[in-house]
This record gives sequence, structure tokens and C-alpha cells, in this order.
Amino acid sequence: MRRTFARLRSAIDARTQAWIRRRQGPDTDPVRLDRRRIYILPTPLGIAFAVMLLGMLLGGMNYGNNLGLALAFLLASLGLVVMHHCHGTLSGLVLRLAATESAFAGSEVVFRLLLENAALAPRPRIELGIGREPTCVVDVPATGSAPAELALPATRRGRVVLGRFVVATRHPLGLFRAWSVLHCDYQAVAWPAPTERDRLPPGVATDTGGAQEHARGDDDFAGLRPFQPGDSLHRVAWKAYARGQGLHTKQYAGTDVVSHIFDWDSLAPLGTEARLAQLCRWVIDAHDHAEAFGLRLPGVSIEPNVGTAHRERCLNALALFEDGHGPA
Amino acid sequence: MVRPERISPGLRGLPWVVAGLAAALAPHVRFLPAWVTLLFVAAAAWRWAADRRPWSLPPKWLRVAATLAATLAVLGTFRTLNGIEAGTAFLALMAAAKLLETRASRDLSVLVFIAYFMLYAALLRDQGLSQLPYLLAVTVFATAALMRVHAGSTGDSGRDVLQRAAVLLLQALPLALLMFLLFPRLPGPFWGIAAGDSARTGLGDEMTPGDISDLSVSGDVAFRVRFFGPLPPPALRYWRGPVLHEFDGRSWRRPRAQSFPEQPVEYVGEPVDYQITLEPTDRPWITALDVPAEWPARQAYRSYDFQLVAPRRLTDVSSYRLRSYPRYVAGKALPQTLRATDTRLPAEGNPRSRALARELAARHGGDPLAISDAMLDMFREQPFVYTLDPPKLAENAMDEFLFDTRRGFCEHYAAAFTLVMRAAGVPARVVTGYQGGEFNPIGGYLIVRQSDAHAWSEIWVEGRGWLRVDPTAAVAPERIELGLIRAVSGDEAVPGRLRDASDAWLQVELTWDTLNDFWNERVVRFTAARQVEMLEQLGFESPDWRTLGLGMAASLAAFFVSLSLYLAWRYREPARDWPARLHAEVVRRLRKRGLTPAAAEGPTAFLERAMQACPDLESDLATIRRLYVSLRYGPVPTDADLRRLKHVVNRLRP
Repeated sequence: MRRTFARLRSAIDARTQAWIRRRQGPDTDPVRLDRRRIYILPTPLGIAFAVMLLGMLLGGMNYGNNLGLALAFLLASLGLVVMHHCHGTLSGLVLRLAATESAFAGSEVVFRLLLENAALAPRPRIELGIGREPTCVVDVPATGSAPAELALPATRRGRVVLGRFVVATRHPLGLFRAWSVLHCDYQAVAWPAPTERDRLPPGVATDTGGAQEHARGDDDFAGLRPFQPGDSLHRVAWKAYARGQGLHTKQYAGTDVVSHIFDWDSLAPLGTEARLAQLCRWVIDAHDHAEAFGLRLPGVSIEPNVGTAHRERCLNALALFEDGHGPA
Repeated sequence: MVRPERISPGLRGLPWVVAGLAAALAPHVRFLPAWVTLLFVAAAAWRWAADRRPWSLPPKWLRVAATLAATLAVLGTFRTLNGIEAGTAFLALMAAAKLLETRASRDLSVLVFIAYFMLYAALLRDQGLSQLPYLLAVTVFATAALMRVHAGSTGDSGRDVLQRAAVLLLQALPLALLMFLLFPRLPGPFWGIAAGDSARTGLGDEMTPGDISDLSVSGDVAFRVRFFGPLPPPALRYWRGPVLHEFDGRSWRRPRAQSFPEQPVEYVGEPVDYQITLEPTDRPWITALDVPAEWPARQAYRSYDFQLVAPRRLTDVSSYRLRSYPRYVAGKALPQTLRATDTRLPAEGNPRSRALARELAARHGGDPLAISDAMLDMFREQPFVYTLDPPKLAENAMDEFLFDTRRGFCEHYAAAFTLVMRAAGVPARVVTGYQGGEFNPIGGYLIVRQSDAHAWSEIWVEGRGWLRVDPTAAVAPERIELGLIRAVSGDEAVPGRLRDASDAWLQVELTWDTLNDFWNERVVRFTAARQVEMLEQLGFESPDWRTLGLGMAASLAAFFVSLSLYLAWRYREPARDWPARLHAEVVRRLRKRGLTPAAAEGPTAFLERAMQACPDLESDLATIRRLYVSLRYGPVPTDADLRRLKHVVNRLRP
């Protein structure tokens, strides 16, 4: 019985979702929630409230009690007022994708959203969720914005698409739920899950400092160059500045800089996913040890470098390898 | 073994909900058995403590057992769950049980619903104006509690939440009012109304000496009367209640299962037309002016002893339009059975009264009027005292009163008189009711209070029928002319009414009574007939349920529109400065030419592009652009520039 009910419910849900998607079409970021895409229905609590009102109404008529009726009317009217307020809380809210957080397959990618409210009234208790249950509740202040996030489990490497998500509210009394279904097709990247640490990285290709333009350590002082905006203040040659020689940045050449080339072809006997997992492991470890590394995949070649941006570029290349999409 | 469950953290609004429930229960407390209230308080205290300290809630088996036991106890006490007393007791216990298992916000919401229902029950019990402000305040509070449970940021202050709840209810008020006026009133009841077991003050169907003097200390309003002609003089304001025929030596009773054919009444003189509005009494008596001649069919009937009786008990404020004749000749022909009833006395008791009756009968040759006059003379000439506080009477109560104490209230005089008349062989009976009333010049109606309760006698005289004899009038004529307060001696306390009320206080009191009367007439007694009347006054011809439905639909539509407008205003965006607004207007107008600013395009760039796209508007757009830049970024924005910008923008015709 219960299972039949659950199946019926999910069938209805699926139909409704399909209908909503057909009706609204895809959305483009940012999305403004307008009247056309907001739906509203009483919650189970609202239905209980209505049943209570019906009881009051019948009792009031039975006893010919006008004040009992008056209370029932006042509460019924309150219910209708609350319905409008519930709808109003959502209507006019703007959602914008602020950032996505990539993750390794098997954990969750996170979509960071910004809820913007241009109106003079606050919009409290905005619930966000991917399924039926909300996973995040935010209060959006008047003429302001509030961050929210949605996490989506990444089962396999590649692009993770947030196909649909729901923005809802039960404000102010929980009797009604206004909601909007969004199909923005926000995308995040799930990196391949790294293998266990069992295979040593391939030999160091270069170990001479200074040979690489971009690989700089901080062991040997190599000279001064004029200061450029963005240089760390720790490396400014303050003594030289004090002598009136202008702003200069100290440069070092690190002889300990090691650099790897992680090559697809070196893992010849393994399958595609296993190779990617192994490359992923090497990339992570190399980055953790602050070693420079480059990546060679069929059709992709990334020169050795260091830094989080470089790590992400390499991981993305692994994630999207042969995925039908080019590297991000 | 079931482990006690811990409370989930983050249950919002619990103190609010508990306080709201307690406030909603408060008006019921004096009608509920003490153990119900105690159980509720205990449950609330437990829940409260569990919220503050690491206490546990009771395990499930204990909760279930307690709930079952409480339900059985309510059934045992009241024998039903229907009816207001049993219903509120049951609600209170359910709330107590629910409190002990409250873990989710849904449970708290259900508790708020119970609070709403308790308020509703309080209204079913009493529709009076006096408790209304309190009930409204609790409604706001309960709504605030519901809001606390469901909405708002945690940082909201209590005042904010209360204020918001009040605003929501205020917004709901207009539609509620329209619904109240337009919702069709169906004639109930659809199911049995349980007996109200709360004792209400009013006349009973039995009178023991002391009953009416007890009633008389109450200043409660019994009924109000609006006359459609001149006010009858005080001496004719006898409001007829139950007529008591049976005497057991101490108490007088209205016969229960005894019926006689209707007795003919001849009316004399001018009729009195009036509308009487009775406070609920839980009894079917309609205390009409003696003697009622016309009454709404099916809503009342006149008994063989000329009392007006409703077909069911008056549990709510009830109103009737009546016609009475203060002068009448009633029951000229006395059926033998009725004569037997109205001369019957217990076999023995009160021997001295009986002796007096025999002596009077012998002296006056059995002439009823002469015997009656002799009795009244006795009351008048011997030292009888009219008092609210008569001494207690024992075995032969009437003998004691007539020959020893000689201090009594109206029921003593009426009972003793009737007894002597019967003993003298004259058919006689005691009539209870009200006498007099206070005219309220502010509202233009007569107020009759419980303190106006009265008892008098009727004797039957051949050829003249039933005659009213009021022995109290012989002892204390002021009672009839001026009312109770003036009739009892100056040093007696008369609770409920201030003896020498100052004029200002009297004004306040009468104004308050007028408000109550208005409330009763316009709100409590707003019936289907009133509804039709109202619609006719609004200009609808022969209004029916379709008119009401149409009215409801129109009200709903108007309400929705105004609410949407309000919300649009509430969620409006802050007003921008004039240059920005005018630029928005330009953008709106240029949209018709298919021009929209790109995401990263500022006003100057957009206007530049528009000038190239629309050569015909080029000069205007150039002016707009120049003025915009100078107003926005120029050293001193001038009013002249702004006026010119407004002018050019308004002239723009794409």
C-alpha cells in the first residue's frame, strides 16, 4: 500500500517536473523568479489548518454561534493573506551562480549561488534543494544578497550538470509552500578519483634551477628586478628602497625545484580510467610537495608549472579527457 | 525496553507556543476540573524544563498510558466528549500529551492549532463583548507563535514577531468582515447540542425561600427590551417567568409532565410592542411582559399558565419580537383539574398559616378578594420587613415567617400569601419572573437585570379569572415603583450594583451596556434575516444565496487585488535618483526600436549606439546624453538641467 503510494507520488512528481520543464524551457543565469515560474500549494500543515477551519465553520453553524464563525473567517482570511505573502516572498528574487567547486568523483561538487533581493522588504527562509527536501535555508536581507550552496554528488569524472533545483519558501506561517523549479544547467567538474599511492612518479626530467622560466624557488638570491604590481610585499627590497633606488623585487633561483612530466603513454598497460586515476594521484602529490609538473595526454600537452591554478588546469584536463568536450 | 528520546536541537518557538496555549486555556480554567488544569501545567513545566536542561521527555509507553487515562477520566467526568466543558477538557489534555512528545516544528504547529480551537471554544461559551479584547490578543499571540515556529530569522525580537503577526491579522480583517456579512447562515443545528453543564444565573423551575434573593444580588443583565411605543409604567412591568403550581411545604415547583388545555385570554386596552433580547440562560423561558399576546410562530408557544416558552433551551443570546397586553382577563373558566392542582396542599405542615386561612375564610365568607385584601392589610399593618437578607427558616417555614421572623424577600411574601389563599380554598399559584427594569437613555432601551428577579401570586376569582396579587407591593411599594435598591433599607449591601452611583459612573455603565446591546443585536444576533435586510438596504432586490455568492466572489477578487497591490508596494525596489529613472524611461522607449542595453553597456555607451541606430532621434539622444552626463558627473547638477532632461525624455517618440 505504502509502496504503491510512493510509486504513484514519484510518478506524479516526474510528470510534473517534465511539464514544468516543457512549460518554462531552459533558464539563463541569472534567473529572476517571476509570477510565471512560481507555483504555490498548501503544505500538509496548511491542509490540517483548513480542516480545522472547516470544523470551526460547521460547529459555528451548528451552534448558531456568530463569533465562532467570525474566528473561523478571520483565520481563513489569514490563510489567504499568508498565501499571498508566501508567493511575494519568492517573487522577484534573483538567483545567480557565483562559483562552482570541483571535487573528486565519489564526493560532492558544490554550486555556490547568490540570492539577490533588490526589494525594500527582506525575504526570509528561502529554502534551496535539489530534490523534495531542502538542503539549505537562507534569509535574504532587504536590498541585499545572501549566499547559498547546493551540493551534488559526483559519481564519475567529467562534467556534473545541475539539471534542476528548487527554490522554495514556507514563510510566514508554514501553511503554504511557494516554489520555483530552475533549469539553469549549471556545470561543475568532477575530477577522476585518484588511485592508491603505489606507483612512484616518473623520474625527474629537469632539476636545474633557473632553467625554467616559471619555476622559482626561494633558496638562492639571484638578483633584483623592478617591482610590478602583484609582487609579494615580503619580497620587496626595502633596503634598496630606503637607499632611494626605487621599488625592486628580490628574485631567487631555486636549485631544489624538481619538475615531472606525467605522461599518458608511460602507463601503457592500464585502461583509460586507471591511467587517469594514476595521473590524478601524481598530480595531487606533486602539488602537495610543491613540485613542478607537466602533463601529456593524447591531444593535450601542459607544460610544467606550479600553483593551484595549474593543478586545477591539469585535473580538469584529466576530468574532461575524451568526454566529448574540450579541456576547460 | 524503550529508551527515553532526546529532544532534537533547534526547536524554535517552544516558549511562545506554551505561553500561547496557556493564555488560550485561561478563560476555560474556572469551568474545568482542577486536575485537568494541573495536568496541563505539569506537562508544560516538564516540556519547558526539558528544553532548558538535559532532561528527558517521558518514554512513549508512559505518554500513551497517560493519554488513555486522561481520555477515560474525561469520559468518566463528563460522560461525553461532545459539549464545551468536555471538549475543552479533552483539548487541554491532548495539548498536554502533545507537549510531551513535541520534537518537530510540525508538533508545535499542531499545538498552535489547539490553542486556536480553545479560543474558538471560549467564543462558543461566551459571545460577550467583555472577553473579546483578551481573545483577540491571544489570537495575535498564537499567530506570532506559529510565525516564530516557521519563519523569520533567529535574530528577530519578540516585538518584531508580535507586530508582524498583528499586521497579518489586520490585513486579514477586511475579508473576514466581508465573509462574516456575506457567508450564508444556515439554520442549525445539524447535530445534537450537548447540555451546557455550567450553571448560569437565571430563574429555575423551582423556588425555595432564599432562591430569588440569591439571584437578586447579581447585577448581570437578564434581558434588554426595546419598545416600539411608549414605555409602560413601572407598575405594569411584570415579566412573566415560570409559574409554580406544586408546593411541598417548603419549595414551589413548576409541574414537569403536566399539561392542561390552553386557557382563553381577553385583551383589554392598548397593546405594547417590543423586541426582547435575552442573555443565554440554558432554560427555555422567554420572560415576556405579562401577558404575551403575539409571538413568532414556531419560535415559542404560550403555556396554559400564560408563560412564553421556547422549544429549546436558550444557549445563546436570543431575540424575539413580541406583543403583550398589560391589562387582560385570563382564564375565566377554570378546568376542574387545574383547580385541583392550584388548591392542592401537603397533608400537613404550617398549621398556624392554615388556621389563619380558615379564620379569614370564615370571616369573609370565602370571598377570595376580601381574603386577599385582609392578607395584604396584614403585611402592610404588622411589622413586616422587606429585606435581601432574611433569617433562615426551619421546619414550618411559612409559619415561622408569618408569625415569628416577619422578615423576608419577595418570594417569602408570595409563597406565604399563596399558601394562605390555597388553605382558604382559593385557587392560587406563585409566578416568578422579573419586575421593573432600568431605562437606558443612551441606547433607548430597558435593561432588566437578575437583581430585578421577582415573585408574585395569582389568585383565581370567579368571573374575573386569574388576578395578579403582589404582596411585596404591600410591604415595600418602592420595590415596584423604584426598584430593589430603593426598597431595601439603607444599611444593606447590594452587591453588583452601586447603591448611590455617581452620575458619571452611571453614564459609563449605561454606555457600556449600550455597547453590549449593540454587540448583541448587530454581531451576536446577525441572522439570515438580518443578512437579507442588510442586502436590501444596499439596494439588492429580493436577495438570495446567489446574491451572497456574488458578493463573496466580488469580495474575494477585491481582496486579492488589493493584497497583490500591497505586496507589490512592499516588495518595491528603492526609488532611484532622477537621472537613473529617466534613463530607464529612455531604455523602455527605445526597446520599441529593438534596442536594449547589453549587460556591460553603460548609459553613455548605449546612448551612443542608439544615436547611430536611430538617426532621426540623434539630436534628442545627444541632448539626453549630454544632460545625463552633466547631471551625473558634472560639478554642480542644476534643476534647470533636470527639467530639460525630463522634457526631452518625454518628447522622445520612438
